Amino acid sequence: MGSSSAQRELQRELEAKANDLSKIQKDISKNHQVRKKYTIQLGENELVLKELDLLSEDANVFKLIGPVLVKQDLAEARANVRKRIEYISAELKRLDATLQDMEEKQNSKKEAIFKVQQRIQSLQAGKAKA
Amino acid sequence: MRGKGTVTPLSSVFSVEDTQKAAKRVQDTIAQKDLELDHLRGFAADNTDLINLVARLPEHLHHDIMVPFGKAAFFPGRLVHTNEFMVLLGEGYYAERTSKQTVDILNRRGKVLESQVDSLKAMVQDLKAEASFFNATATEAAEGLVEIVEDYEEESSSDRECTPKQDYANNSRAVIAQPADEDEEFARMMARMDELEKEEREAESHMAQSDEDEQLQHGLHQLSDQKSLHGNLKISEQYQSRKPPEQTKDGIASNEDSFTDVPSGSGLVSKYEVSHENILGRDVKSVAEKDLVSPVVENVQTVPLSRSQVSLESSKPKFDREKAFTGSIVEHADNLQIKSRERTTAISQSSASQVSKPVSRFKMQRK
Repeated sequence: MGSSSAQRELQRELEAKANDLSKIQKDISKNHQVRKKYTIQLGENELVLKELDLLSEDANVFKLIGPVLVKQDLAEARANVRKRIEYISAELKRLDATLQDMEEKQNSKKEAIFKVQQRIQSLQAGKAKA
Repeated sequence: MRGKGTVTPLSSVFSVEDTQKAAKRVQDTIAQKDLELDHLRGFAADNTDLINLVARLPEHLHHDIMVPFGKAAFFPGRLVHTNEFMVLLGEGYYAERTSKQTVDILNRRGKVLESQVDSLKAMVQDLKAEASFFNATATEAAEGLVEIVEDYEEESSSDRECTPKQDYANNSRAVIAQPADEDEEFARMMARMDELEKEEREAESHMAQSDEDEQLQHGLHQLSDQKSLHGNLKISEQYQSRKPPEQTKDGIASNEDSFTDVPSGSGLVSKYEVSHENILGRDVKSVAEKDLVSPVVENVQTVPLSRSQVSLESSKPKFDREKAFTGSIVEHADNLQIKSRERTTAISQSSASQVSKPVSRFKMQRK
């Protein structure tokens, strides 16, 4: 009887760990999606900066804010785009770190689950022998 | 056959369902990437259309057009300032540019799109390779293919190597590179050969060279008969006529894993005949052939004809080496002749295969 209750406990443990693992995996996939978005934005901003640099100094630059096209200073526009690029890169780095963290957690959870499974198996083997 | 390996059904290593699921997953990713690829290709097409339009607009001072008004109406209007464009640079930034400058911007954008398309294509290619691999494993697992792993027996091969080396010590090219194999037949053959050798040495015969040659040839024929499919003899003879410069050694060397039976057998015979043709009176060479023949003969085993073809073809280029051999072999001519004859006789006797006419003649002569 004691062994069966121990087995039940182990199985509950296993379930809990499995839930944690699935949560972590969802987080990882979300992280991936956000990373993708940021990467695309970064690419676009780099392209804009390239074009802005190619513009001659007297060209008119406008920014679309809602339904309004607002005239912008070329230098100002360049600075803004550069700042945006820096911000996005920093975000990406942060996301990378979080992703690494989550992957490590995922691996450790997997190992823990595996150990619990092994214990269950050994318990069952012991039961079968007895 | 000694089974010294493991037989693992592929389905156990990769379960059928798993492989199928993996294959499906890869297929899904491929479909996704294909969609994206189509997307990008659409962008690229739009870009080129736009470039053409922008290039054409400045041709006139003004264009008469139908201007869209709201969702469902147009009114006639005029397009003026045909050389001034407000180009979207990205991220909500616009710039006033001329037609030519706009075309430049669009061209650069087109290049970026192209590079994106290329990278996507490369990804799809990799995925497709993965998918094909998964599909193959899935079908293999489903069919119940089995993976057989056998150990390479160093000891047995070295043992076999010893016996022939003793006989043909001068044969530097230890063609006797016996393929590592676990065949009992081979071991039996070797043991029988050793016995016959001894018998031969004791009872020395003084048959004419031509007789020996004939016997050896018959013996070879017998060998190929006994080991390989009946009727291979004729085929091997055909082989000889088709590919005279086959080298038995090459046959042996090329078939390390399998016993070069038919190929070696036929190769041997062919070489033998070639030697006969080339060196009519030269017993030495024939003896040399026999030397080569004997170790090769030992390797004889049942092998499908197709394989023999392959080995025969592979052995072609090494023919020249044979001619250089002549001198060294002369010394052991007599012994070898006898030994080879003994072997072939023994083999023919040991096997209960059909005996063609020439073989029986040989048998009668010997006993």
